[in-house]
Amino acid sequence: MADTLTPDRLTARHVGAVYRRALLAQIRAITEYPGDFWVMASAGVMWNVLQFAFLTVLFAAVPEVAGWRYHEMLMLSGLLTVAAGSTAILCDGIWSTGQMVLKGEIDYRMTRPAPVVVQVATTHIGMQGFGEVGFGLVMVAYGWIGAGLGPASLPLVLLGIVCAVVIECALITLFCAVNFWIKGPMSNFAFVMLDLQHHAMTMPLGLFPIGVKVVTMFVVPVAFVNFVPVAALSGHLAPWWVIGMPVAAAASVLAALGVYRLGLRSYDSSGH
Amino acid sequence: MPILEARSLTKTFRRPDKTSGFKGAVKHLVQRKYKNYTAVDGIDLSIEPGESVAYVGPNGAGKSTTVKLLTGILRPSEGTVRVMGRDPHTERIANAHDIGVLFGQRTQLWWDLPVEESLKLLKHMYGVSDADYKARIARFDELLDLGEFMPALARTLSLGQRMRADLACALIHAPKMVYLDEPTIGLDISVKDRLRAFLRELVDGGTTLLLTSHDLADIEEVCERIVVIDKGAVAYDGPIQQLKAHYITTKAVNLFLEGPADVDELKLKFPQYEWAAGEAPSEVTVTYESRHFTAAEVLGGLTAELAPRDLSLSEPSIEDVIRRLYAGELTK
Repeated sequence: MADTLTPDRLTARHVGAVYRRALLAQIRAITEYPGDFWVMASAGVMWNVLQFAFLTVLFAAVPEVAGWRYHEMLMLSGLLTVAAGSTAILCDGIWSTGQMVLKGEIDYRMTRPAPVVVQVATTHIGMQGFGEVGFGLVMVAYGWIGAGLGPASLPLVLLGIVCAVVIECALITLFCAVNFWIKGPMSNFAFVMLDLQHHAMTMPLGLFPIGVKVVTMFVVPVAFVNFVPVAALSGHLAPWWVIGMPVAAAASVLAALGVYRLGLRSYDSSGH
Repeated sequence: MPILEARSLTKTFRRPDKTSGFKGAVKHLVQRKYKNYTAVDGIDLSIEPGESVAYVGPNGAGKSTTVKLLTGILRPSEGTVRVMGRDPHTERIANAHDIGVLFGQRTQLWWDLPVEESLKLLKHMYGVSDADYKARIARFDELLDLGEFMPALARTLSLGQRMRADLACALIHAPKMVYLDEPTIGLDISVKDRLRAFLRELVDGGTTLLLTSHDLADIEEVCERIVVIDKGAVAYDGPIQQLKAHYITTKAVNLFLEGPADVDELKLKFPQYEWAAGEAPSEVTVTYESRHFTAAEVLGGLTAELAPRDLSLSEPSIEDVIRRLYAGELTK
């Protein structure tokens, strides 16, 4: 049966169906390259095994870092890993925005009745994402059990994971959209954001000056990807901070879609 | 009411203004300069439903940019476009249902998927019913032989197969207005013939078509109207037959005589015509102004006097006319 589709505007159901079908098609395409899949998925696991080993070695020497214990730190790293890995599965194509703008590959996507951002996001799947998500979930679960948070906190953990994935996808989309104006094949702003997360957000935010805290909470809300949910769960932040997670997620999505839409207005294709 | 209407359509791009070489590149890095470049300059275009319009011009004339403006891919710098009463850029989603687009130099197939999967993705994107999808695929198969490569991955297709598949993608939702930008580029003659026959049938079925092509045979076989643009502006807009009638003022007759042709003698005998020796000694070409002489007059006089063994009548191709239009030898 045809998807729900009104001629003048898109319905959420139609957009969801287009996204799901395009993503499933990419998963089918992955089967064309089984060698790549296993190499990349393993690479995703290996990097995080190193992170896991680093934390284990670190906490063998010190009991806590800025008041955070081993299992809390594992959750912090694990949640970031799940979020980053999920973006590789759910919207890895968005990294191609710069290339597509330069090569005029947005053209066809502008002539179809589906959001361009959805069509671009589903052009690729980062196979390392499967390994990252798998290992990240293991780290979160191990940390959660080890920290003794109990089953009552499970809904909050799940909410944290969902919000983390949404925020991460939205922020990467937003920074990749910068390539509509700053022409270049690489999404450098998005890379900088990921770098910032991997270096700063795998540590407790209390270690950093107030400026970093303000920026990561209220300007580019990467703190809501892993720090805020884990800190609220483990008592380092007051419970009401939890409300900030869906708020940050919604704000990030709106900002990303708005910037991408503005970018499309500036799109000037290629070959003219 | 026109299905497509563009008024004073203008598109200006900003291009980096840098000198060549390493020094120029470094200088541009710290001191950026840009120049404005007008690709489309105040074009007026109106297309009625069911028309088939060829949009031609030399490289860099602004053909593809116009198509991108008309399809809503680009926003005009100045002027307006309306397709079925809508602005194709700001009302992109509604417009997408009514238009089909093919850019011959690019594919819209999913590279690592079978052709069939790409078509199914588009089916769902456009909300095409199962029954319509089956009927259209059967029709495309009949006319374009899609069936032979439907299960093949897009990256394994030949250029001709890829183009046929892309055409099916552009038409899977039965659009009312179709834009084809160089649909036969790089194709061999048999695939071109098949595509042209398909397009002719599409037009006969009532679809409105805007076609850009450097292959003027595409244009003559598929379109009734031609818009010639040069340097971003319209140089000619009218029926192809009128273009020919207006600009093709000379015709030629090739004569094959029984013996060797003496061109100098013929020039003296028929000074009202132009004469040229042919490839063979017995072959001679006579060119005459069709505004002054009818073919019957010319042929009657020549056959009576020279009794040729064989003859053929020819006229300059539309390609010659357009080449002269580009070169500025002809005016509106």
